Amino acid sequence: MATEERSKEVMAKLKNAVIEYDEDTAKEWAQIALDEGIDANEAIFNGLVSGMQHVGDLFEKQEYFVPELLMCADALYAGLEILKPHVKKMDLGVKGSVVIGTVEGDVHDIGKNIVKMMFDVAGFTVYDLGRDVPLDKFVQEQLKTDSDLVCLSAMMTTTMVGMKKVIDDIKAKNPNVKIMIGGAPVSRDVADKWGADGYAPDATNALKDAINMISSLKKLKEEAEAKKQK
Amino acid sequence: MTLSGLRDYIEGEGATVVGFAEVDEALPEEIAHLNRAISIGVERNLNADTLRQLRGLQKKTEKYLRDRGYKFLCIPPDSDRITDTFISKLYKLFSHKVAATCSGLGWIGKNGLLINPKYGPRLSLVTVLTDAPLQPDPPTEQSMCGECSLCVEMCPSGALSGREWSRDDPFPEIIDFSRCASHKGSTKRMSEKPNCGLCINVCPHGRRKPKEEVNAIVVTAEDK
Repeated sequence: MATEERSKEVMAKLKNAVIEYDEDTAKEWAQIALDEGIDANEAIFNGLVSGMQHVGDLFEKQEYFVPELLMCADALYAGLEILKPHVKKMDLGVKGSVVIGTVEGDVHDIGKNIVKMMFDVAGFTVYDLGRDVPLDKFVQEQLKTDSDLVCLSAMMTTTMVGMKKVIDDIKAKNPNVKIMIGGAPVSRDVADKWGADGYAPDATNALKDAINMISSLKKLKEEAEAKKQK
Repeated sequence: MTLSGLRDYIEGEGATVVGFAEVDEALPEEIAHLNRAISIGVERNLNADTLRQLRGLQKKTEKYLRDRGYKFLCIPPDSDRITDTFISKLYKLFSHKVAATCSGLGWIGKNGLLINPKYGPRLSLVTVLTDAPLQPDPPTEQSMCGECSLCVEMCPSGALSGREWSRDDPFPEIIDFSRCASHKGSTKRMSEKPNCGLCINVCPHGRRKPKEEVNAIVVTAEDK
C-alpha cells in the first residue's frame, strides 16, 4: 500500500499529465497507481478529473483552445482506460445507463464523444450508437436496454429537426425516460418546446457542463464517504 | 531554454529533412494560435520502420516544445487512419504537404506528391504545429517539374492531369482520385494490398537507379 505522501505524488502526476496533454505519462502513472495499490476511484477523481477541471479553467481564461482541450480529453481517456476495469461501482443514487448518438444525416460527433466521456467517467453504462443514426434506432435501443437517459446530438439545423421525432416517439412509449439534446443549432427554447429534459449548446459547453457534472458527482461521492465515516 | 537548437536536434535524432514554416494564413479558427509548422521528412525505405521512426521524431519534438512551455499539435503520419481519439477530428484541418511546401522542403509534383530537390517524392512526412516563434524558412514558390511528365505518362489509370502546382495556385486538379483509387483497388485483388506507386518510382528527382533503367520503364509504358 502506498503512503499518503506517495499517493499524493501519483495524483499530482496524473493531474499534470492531463493538463499537459501527455497521453504516455497518463498511462504510465495510471499503471503505477494500480501497481502501488492506490484506489482506482481516487486516481480517477483526484488525479485525472482534477486535471480536467484545471483544463476547464485554462479554457475559460483562453489559455487553452479547442485542440489542447481535445488532447487533454485524450490523455484523460488514456489513463481512464487503464484504471476503469479496477473501479468499484459507485453508489450515487443514480442508476446509470444511457443511449447516446448523433442523429440521422449528421456526422459531427466531437460533442457527442465528449459528453460520452462524461458518462464513462461517471461509471454509466454507455450505449453509443455513433453518428448518422437512423431515428428509429434510438427508440429501439432505449427499449432494448431500458436506459434511463437518451442523449441526442445534432450540428446542423437540417438534422436537428429529427430530434423532435425521437423525443416524441420515446416519450410516447416510455414517458419516464430523460432526454438530453445538444449541438450548435439547439437552444434552451428548442429544448423546452420539444420537451427535452436537458440541453447543452456545443462541444465546449458540453465539456464544461461535463466537468461541472463530474465535479458535483465528486461532491456527492465525498458526501457519501463523509456519511459513512460518521 | 531557447529554440535555436531545435532543427539540429531533430536532424540529430534521424530526420532526413526538417523545415519551419509560418502558416498564419488559412489556419482554421480551431488551430489559429498554432501558427508555426514544423515539417519533418524521413527518407522512405518502404518498410514499417518509417512510421515508427516518424512517430518517434514527433514525440521528441513534442517533448522539446513542452519542456520550453510551448503549445503544440502533432499531426501524425497516416492521420486519416486514426479515428479513435478526440483530437483526430482536427487532423484533417492541416496537410503535411502544405507544411512541407511552406517551409521550403519542396514542391507538389505532377504526381501530386511532395518533391524534394534531393530526395524526390521519396519522403514520408509528419507535421507538428506549434506556437513557438520559430524563424520560418523561405517557402517554395513554384514547381520545378518543368517539361518532365514521366509520372503522367506512366500512370496506368490515367489519373494525372499534368497540371503544375505553384504557391499562387496551390490546389490545381492534379489527380483524379477516383481513378487512382480504382486502379489501386484492382492491384489489391492480386497482392491483397492496395498499392501502385509507379509515379513515385519513375520520378527522376532523388532517384538512385541509373537513368537507362528509367528510360527502359518509360519505353515499356509507351509500348502499352
